[in-house]
Amino acid sequence: MSVIKIENLVRDYGGGKGVFDISFHVNQGEAFGFLGPNGAGKTTTIRHLMGFLKPKSGKCTIDGLDCWSERDKVQARLGYIPGEISFFDDMTGTEFLRFIAEYRKIDTRNRMEELLERFELDPKSKIKKMSKGMKQKLGIVAAFMHDPDILILDEPTSGLDPLMQSRFVNLVAEEKENGKTILMSSHMFEEVERTCDRIGIIRNGRMVAIDSAAALHERHTRSYTVTLESEAAAKAFAADFGGICNGKKVTVATKQSLEEIFMNYYGGEKND
Amino acid sequence: MINMALYKREMKGSIKLLIIFGAIITMYVSIIINMYDPQMMKTLDSFVEVMPELMASVGMKANAANLLGFMVSYLYGFILLIFPMLFCILRGNALIAKYVDKGSMVSLAAAPVKRCTIAFTQMKVLVSGILLLILYSTIVELICAKSGFPEELDIKELFILNGGLLCLHLFIGGICFLSSCIFSDTKYSVAFGAGIPAFMYVLQMLANVGGDAEKAKYFTFFTLFSPDGIIAGKSSAIASAFVLFAGAVMLYALGIVIFEKKDLPI
Ligand SMILES: Nc1ncnc2c1ncn2[C@@H]1O[C@H](COP(=O)(O)OP(=O)(O)OP(=O)(O)O)[C@@H](O)[C@H]1O
Ligand SMILES: [Mg+2]
Repeated sequence: MSVIKIENLVRDYGGGKGVFDISFHVNQGEAFGFLGPNGAGKTTTIRHLMGFLKPKSGKCTIDGLDCWSERDKVQARLGYIPGEISFFDDMTGTEFLRFIAEYRKIDTRNRMEELLERFELDPKSKIKKMSKGMKQKLGIVAAFMHDPDILILDEPTSGLDPLMQSRFVNLVAEEKENGKTILMSSHMFEEVERTCDRIGIIRNGRMVAIDSAAALHERHTRSYTVTLESEAAAKAFAADFGGICNGKKVTVATKQSLEEIFMNYYGGEKND
Repeated sequence: MINMALYKREMKGSIKLLIIFGAIITMYVSIIINMYDPQMMKTLDSFVEVMPELMASVGMKANAANLLGFMVSYLYGFILLIFPMLFCILRGNALIAKYVDKGSMVSLAAAPVKRCTIAFTQMKVLVSGILLLILYSTIVELICAKSGFPEELDIKELFILNGGLLCLHLFIGGICFLSSCIFSDTKYSVAFGAGIPAFMYVLQMLANVGGDAEKAKYFTFFTLFSPDGIIAGKSSAIASAFVLFAGAVMLYALGIVIFEKKDLPI
């Protein structure tokens, strides 16, 4: 069953910017990776899901609820990490987390402590004086502390150091195991590869590919059959390059990394 | 309809401004009321004689009949208009537009709280601030008047007068709030939220000078607050105050509806 559903979403900012006819869905308990270069339209799409923007045409629903007209009901089940973190500068991290809990009318004490510990964040300083990574961690804690069953994460690891990135990837994997539905935008191939079941690639506001992570690999496998002068040479060649030997013929396959696939989509050259 | 967590946070954010403006108002009101003295009045009246335009432009006219008339002349033309107005402009802009512009509105919008609840709460913060400021001014006026001139002041008239003043400032607050709801850019929110009231006030000053410029009074809402009319018990003055109040209600409602419907680029 699809929890997050985007149908023919259009938002034209003019000058070829915006998102055009985006459609995809995320199933219950699935992690969906939303990949795309800068300015591709990831954040714009996510803002529609959050009910910040009204679709010019098309529709976004979460669990059957319209993301624009029923946004407050949708929000009750959502955890969100914004792409551009900007919290109340005048508060300390602790005050901010307490405020959010009170504002959402939820009790988050245990989970909050656990998350703060996991990300080694000391929230006592003023948000204004926090480093980018600290603010990002604060955003993560605020998004996960009320234990939402749907997570919308816009470039959640930006600003985190590699250790914290991998801790975050682990957190997402755990959440997925607990049956949470996750939509995660990213430029980071590794984290998407490690956590997501399916991947959508967006470029210039259009979806260029949606498939399972495994199928994307598959699709971009190229194979070559070469004929060598002797069977012995063919055997040696097959052994060296990991090919399949058939008489004098050897078939070798190259598998592009997800990164290469990604580069293909936004580098302009498609080699299908 | 109102989110207490947000209300508390924003009221805390208003305190500093309230204290500053409260202090300024205390200072001016006590000085001016203590100046009320037939002898002093002659001096002020002589100022008015020497430079009638300048004094009139800030609402000071000669021959105030009694203490309240004196207060109207010297407090309700400038001090009690400008400082609450500044409060409206500063807070009005900060309550919505600044959060949208800076992006921190995300924290408020990404929660199961209706947008109209957010806007209504922010409106209540602004209105509470105005209410506190006018209430405080009334108390200061009462204390100063009663301590200096126990017999001079008609309390009921003062209350009615300040009721009118409250309507005026609610209206100004409405303009600031509406502009804050419409614009996602602080630049424009301030330009309209501060620009309109300030321009209207300048028109009012012009109109006070008299002569041809008096026509300016038809183009400024400040004309709807007529302290002289209110203390003279003119029903038209009371009615205009109600017009201001009704206008304020409409401005706030419009602001909330617009905020509810608009795209947030956050
Ligand atoms: N309010 C707006 N008005 C006009 N253009 C906009 C607006 N918001 C976004 N855009 C444009 O829409 C395009 C998509 O932006 P978006 O923020 O969705 O990209 P993104 O995929 O999130 O990029 P990044 O990886 O850099 O975060 C960009 O070209 C941007 O300039
Ligand atoms: Mg983005």
